Amino acid sequence: MEAPPVTMMPVTGGAINMMEYLLQGSVLDHSLESLIHRLRGLCDNMEPETFLDHEMVFLLKGQQASPFVLRARRSMDRAGSPWHLRYLGQPEMGDKNRHALVRNCVDIATSENLTDFLMEMGFRMDHEFVAKGHLFRKGIMKIVVYKIFRILVPGNTDSTEALSLSYLVELSVVAPAGQDMVSDDMRNFAEQLKPLVHLEKIDPKRLM
Amino acid sequence: MGVSQMPVAEGKSVQQTVEILTRKLEMLGAEKQGTFSVDCETYHTAASTLGSQGQAGKLMYVMHNSEYPLSCFALFENGPCLIADTNFDVLMVKLKGFFQSAKASKIETRGTRYQYCDFLVKVGTVTMGPSARGISVEVEYCPCVVASDCWSLLLEFLQSFLGSHTPGAPAVFGNRHDAVYGPADTMVQYMELFNKIRKQQQVPVAGIR
Repeated sequence: MEAPPVTMMPVTGGAINMMEYLLQGSVLDHSLESLIHRLRGLCDNMEPETFLDHEMVFLLKGQQASPFVLRARRSMDRAGSPWHLRYLGQPEMGDKNRHALVRNCVDIATSENLTDFLMEMGFRMDHEFVAKGHLFRKGIMKIVVYKIFRILVPGNTDSTEALSLSYLVELSVVAPAGQDMVSDDMRNFAEQLKPLVHLEKIDPKRLM
Repeated sequence: MGVSQMPVAEGKSVQQTVEILTRKLEMLGAEKQGTFSVDCETYHTAASTLGSQGQAGKLMYVMHNSEYPLSCFALFENGPCLIADTNFDVLMVKLKGFFQSAKASKIETRGTRYQYCDFLVKVGTVTMGPSARGISVEVEYCPCVVASDCWSLLLEFLQSFLGSHTPGAPAVFGNRHDAVYGPADTMVQYMELFNKIRKQQQVPVAGIR
C-alpha cells in the first residue's frame, strides 16, 4: 500500500475557463452514408465509434428571468461509464467575423445518482431525449453525427420515436478561452465537408 | 476500500492530544506516510429560489479528501452523496446566484497518515478558520469492503490506542451492515463529525464525542 501523492492542499478544479466552439448542420437520412464515408477519410484513423446516449435537461428556476440549465447525459450502451454533467453558458456575442459559436462550458463526470442529487438541489427535469449516432475525431476537433429520438413515455428509453428524417452534424472543440484560431481551423475543416453538409454558426436565440 | 471510524477525543489541549495519539501509534509500530486533509464547505439555497419550491432551505456540503485528489463529494444531510470530478467546484462558482456559500463555516481537518500493517490511521486537527476545534481519527481496514465483516476487528484495534475513548458503531452502517462500503460513506461520516464540532462553541476541557 503506497501513500497517495503528498499534497497539502486537495487538488481543486482550476479556474481556467473552458469554451466550447461549435458549428452545426444537418443531413437527410439518405445522405448519411456518403457523409460517414467522407468523415472516415478526413478524420483520425480509429475504430468507427457509435454511441447511444440518454440526455436529460434540468432547470433551476430562481428570481432571475432565465433559469439555470444543466444537462445530464448517460451512456446507454457502455455500462459503467460515469454520467456526464454539462453546463453551457450564453453564446459570446462579439466578433461577427468569428466563424464558430463560442460559449462557456463546464464538463463534469459524476456518479450514477446524479438525477437524484439534482432533484435534491432543486432542479426539475425539463425535457429528455435519446441521441444515437457516430463519433469522429480530428486532433482536438470532435465531429458527431446523430439522430435525436423523442421519448414517448417519460423515463422509458425503450419507446422512442425519431424526431426528424435527418441527422444532426456538430463540429465542436473545447478549448481554454482566448484561442480564436480554433474557429479558423474549424472553418477550414467544415469547407472540406461541403457540399455534403453545410456547417455554420447557428445562434440558438434566433430560433426561439 | 475499507471501513473508517471517526471518533473525536479531547485532552488538555488539541495539540497535546494529537501528540499523545501519534506517539502511541508510533510505539505500536505504525509508519508515517505523509499527510492528509479533508475539507468541507457549506452552501445553502439562496432565498430567491425558495419561494418557487415552498420548502425550507437545504444545506449542501461540498467536500474534498486528499485520499481521492481528483474527486469532489457533494452531499445533503440524509440525502444522496454525489461523487464528481474537481470541475464541480467550477460549477458551484457558476451557481453563485442560487447557492450561497456560508464562508465562515469552512471546516477542515489536516494531519498525518499512518500505515500499520493492513490498517490506515489518519489523525488530524479539525480547524475552523484560525482556531483548532477538535481532533479527528479515521481508521481504515483496507482488505475489507463489507462493514459487518470487520467491525469487531476495527473496534479491537481502536481500543488498543484510543483506550476508553473508543466510540460505538457509526450511524452510516445503520441498516446497511452487509452493503459494500465506499468513499461516499467516509465522507458522510466526516460531514457528521464536522457538524458536531461546528455546533460546539469552544473546545471543552475534557469530553468524548
